[in-house]
Amino acid sequence: MSALLQGLQFHPGKTIIHRLDPRVKLVISILLLATTLMYLEVTVITLVIVVEALIAYAARVVGRWARTVYGAAPLIALVFLMNYTANVFMMGEAFSVEGLYRAFAAAYRLVALLAAFSIFFLTTTPEELGMALTKLKVPYIYTFAFISAIRFAPVLAQELQSILDAQRSRGLELDKGGPLTRARRYIPVLVPLLVSVLRRSYELAEAMEVKCFGAKKERTYLKTLRLGRRDYAALSLAISLFTLAAYIRVMVPIELP
Amino acid sequence: MEHVYPNGVKALDGVSLRIGEGEVVAIMGENGAGKTTLLKHLNGLLKPTRGRVIVDGKDTREATVAELSRKVGIVFQNAEDMFFSGSVWEETEFALRNFGFSEDVISKRVEWALRFMELWDYRSKSPFMLSGGEKKRLALAVILAWSPEIIVLDEPTIGQDQLQKEKMIEVIRLLNTQGKTVILSSHDIEFVAELRPRIILMSGGRIVGDGRAEDILTNMSLLESCRLIPPQIVQLTSRLGFMGIRAKLASPEDVAKEIAERIRV
Repeated sequence: MSALLQGLQFHPGKTIIHRLDPRVKLVISILLLATTLMYLEVTVITLVIVVEALIAYAARVVGRWARTVYGAAPLIALVFLMNYTANVFMMGEAFSVEGLYRAFAAAYRLVALLAAFSIFFLTTTPEELGMALTKLKVPYIYTFAFISAIRFAPVLAQELQSILDAQRSRGLELDKGGPLTRARRYIPVLVPLLVSVLRRSYELAEAMEVKCFGAKKERTYLKTLRLGRRDYAALSLAISLFTLAAYIRVMVPIELP
Repeated sequence: MEHVYPNGVKALDGVSLRIGEGEVVAIMGENGAGKTTLLKHLNGLLKPTRGRVIVDGKDTREATVAELSRKVGIVFQNAEDMFFSGSVWEETEFALRNFGFSEDVISKRVEWALRFMELWDYRSKSPFMLSGGEKKRLALAVILAWSPEIIVLDEPTIGQDQLQKEKMIEVIRLLNTQGKTVILSSHDIEFVAELRPRIILMSGGRIVGDGRAEDILTNMSLLESCRLIPPQIVQLTSRLGFMGIRAKLASPEDVAKEIAERIRV
């Protein structure tokens, strides 16, 4: 879980990918997402992941990026299992290799999807993300809520760890007993976590008020976003690749494994 | 032994030490020296990535945290990380139930622990309604209730006022006379100077000093290398070399007497 969160945390760098306009990066991520949603063929999804790996390589975040995907493995396994059992038991589908394949492709798709957004978050500071959203006319209150949620994720993970340490030191054993007792055992972990989150949010609200949050409707930024030549180049490359993918999907009837 | 965190940080690098029964030990060092990491090895929350940790003859890798915690009670820095019950009484009961004590033992132990930490009057209050100092005391009462032989205190003086610090010293001494081993981490040098325990100095995940408080706290260059400022009384006596007084860890009264004697002569 923490590996997964780590992969969504900004990692500083000065590569071309880091310096791209956050809006362009967002568009690229969305285009990658759309491509994976258009295809259910494992080969195409693999191709998308290869493209993502190349971008991650250019941004020098391959290690962290790979760890995110690795950290999401349990989640992906769950999706695969749910997909398959839902098909077989609820839809009354007979066991087939094809059914397995489809469930696998759906889970595999999730890898590509997660990987695309991992690159985005790894190379974009929360501020840039905020600026991008504001430029896209998202009200700043929502933008702020969103970026603080991202920022608090690692803090929360740390807090959870110290709560777990404290309660395990009092003889709490989380992995003992049946599912119901197990669920009840989480109370000593969830209550302190909830208290800490509430406290933090009050503190944040106070700190914001002290700094006159919302005093003026129009917000100004120290850095302003402007699309450069590099941004246009990246954008047109991404769009043409996507158009090609969409064209092949619709117009070329080829069978892929 | 060694400990490397999953993110590759080597927090403990070749630490080797032995702590005997009934000792009072203070682990000192700047932030990030590895104090808390070391403490978390004592009840198996962390296992060494290399080497071994033996608690009461048992390798921590072969026991669960719950088993080890029966013997080693750790009081963490942030007391609020542990509170979840509706009342101080229930909060103190929790661990005793986990360890499977009988009902009458539980009520006896809880009463003893709450009275010992002067929290008896608050027994039906919510732990969240206590003041900062009371919360810290409750955290200690919670651990003392099951009477572990080894008591570990992670930064016990953070956020405490002078009076509470003095009480903490009293409690530690009392526990020690009951035969308990007390291990604490701190960078509060005046607190440690007053307690006068065995001091283990850490820096960059290594042990750089180990000895009596009287020796460690008067070793200026060693303290400086760990970014610690010597206790005021040591700073004072170290400047009295011209009257023939050596740097020492002594009570202010003793130092005053010594100065008075030199002046008389």
